[in-house]
Amino acid sequence: MPPTGIPADYLYRMSPFCLETAGLTYRFSRHNIVLDNLDLRVPEGSIYGFLGPNGAGKTTTLRLVLGLLRRQQGRISFFGHPYETSRLATLKKVGSLIESPSIYGQLTAVENLLVWQKIYGCPKDRIATVLEWVGLANTGRKAAGKFSLGMKQRLGIAVALLNDPALLILDEPTNGLDPAGMVEIRALLQQLNHQQGVTILLSSHLLWEMQKLVTYTGIIHQGRLLYQGPLDQLMAKHEGDLETIFIKLTQH
Amino acid sequence: MYSYFHSFHSEWLKKRRSAASWLTLIGALLVPIVMLISRYDSGGLAAANRLPHLWENLYARSWQFMAIFLLPMGVVLATSLITQLEFRSNAWKQLCTTPQKLTTIFFAKLSVILVMLLQFFLLFNIGIYLEGVLPALAGGITYPTERIPFMALWRANGWFILDCLPIVALQYLLGLYCKNFLVPLGVGLGLYVASMIATQWRYGYIIPYTYSTLEWLGNRSSLSTSHFHVWAAGYSVAFLVLGYILYITKKEKG
Repeated sequence: MPPTGIPADYLYRMSPFCLETAGLTYRFSRHNIVLDNLDLRVPEGSIYGFLGPNGAGKTTTLRLVLGLLRRQQGRISFFGHPYETSRLATLKKVGSLIESPSIYGQLTAVENLLVWQKIYGCPKDRIATVLEWVGLANTGRKAAGKFSLGMKQRLGIAVALLNDPALLILDEPTNGLDPAGMVEIRALLQQLNHQQGVTILLSSHLLWEMQKLVTYTGIIHQGRLLYQGPLDQLMAKHEGDLETIFIKLTQH
Repeated sequence: MYSYFHSFHSEWLKKRRSAASWLTLIGALLVPIVMLISRYDSGGLAAANRLPHLWENLYARSWQFMAIFLLPMGVVLATSLITQLEFRSNAWKQLCTTPQKLTTIFFAKLSVILVMLLQFFLLFNIGIYLEGVLPALAGGITYPTERIPFMALWRANGWFILDCLPIVALQYLLGLYCKNFLVPLGVGLGLYVASMIATQWRYGYIIPYTYSTLEWLGNRSSLSTSHFHVWAAGYSVAFLVLGYILYITKKEKG
């Protein structure tokens, strides 16, 4: 019990994590457990790489924490507050790109961002800033539906950055990007993290790319976290690169 | 309320250059344009513009095609297209992770559809007005002598809008719930065909897509006008409440 005079949710408030789950469990059916007691902890200021093979439960976790799937069991808190009681305040501080980008094909890049700018209420000049960051400043009147896969992905990242988030949740953000594009996005994420203190949670299959980017990592396999902690500690404990360690962990 | 207006503005932007907005524009002006061409082609415009019931005649002839076919089909298509924008753009997940209540999203999107419906009616009425006035403005033909019976026309428009609301509400429900565009479209077409078949049936009013046709038929129908208007209002509220509950309690939001 918290001492008298301290709010009941004081444990949440004391949390040093941007995002924290406790005992998060999700079932598609009675015998099909997708997530099993997941205790995810994304430290403030980190770039957290959420790694796992296909079907491990990465996207389900991200969809659950963002409220896109109904929570069945366990707790979710953002910035020290339970998600259920602080949904709107939380979503103001979170930017996300889950799976494929959300693009209105008949609109231009600027118009696509205007759609979200109206809701977030952020300054209009933020649109030009984020488009510059993702390299789409010169797309003019071209409809977003005619963009290449990589350009659509960049626009999706721009949408996620629009509200100047404190926490950025990106599911496979480098999908469809060419090697140069990957380097650019990696540099952008590092810059956001180092200069603006944005915490980043991202999932990806590209382990060599993640090794260059993340400071913290969580490895999930069959709905369970096999490892969670600083990347350098993981690398120090095992031999080989991240890919070798990942395969070793997920095959045991 | 503030967030509702922002949400509405955002939804309004999304429909820019979309198929639904083109459909509203073309659908509303198609009949008046065809009727205008037909008036020119049939001749006797000068005499026709001096007739005592010019506006009632233009209104009745234009609504004949609109009420029976274009209006219900247009509402089915436009409502389904607006809701499909999110599915087609993979945008439900983005929309549901914006800092706004799901209730706000539901009513902002519905408001866009309703405003588009009003826009459609407004354009259609302007089209009817131009049917009468354009030949005179083009020169050589007398300006219509009869005054426009505004009150009667607005009242009739009001009833037609009420007749459409059950279609809007049901198509909205289906559009929000079904990822596959063919489901709301198929149900809409099916119910429209059923409503056509049931027009002469004495219980035809139980099919919620019948009312604009019954409105047009007026006294020629076996049903009293007020009777099916009550049904239209009842269906609209019932579908809207059901749609809202289904949307709010949906397991997967995007």
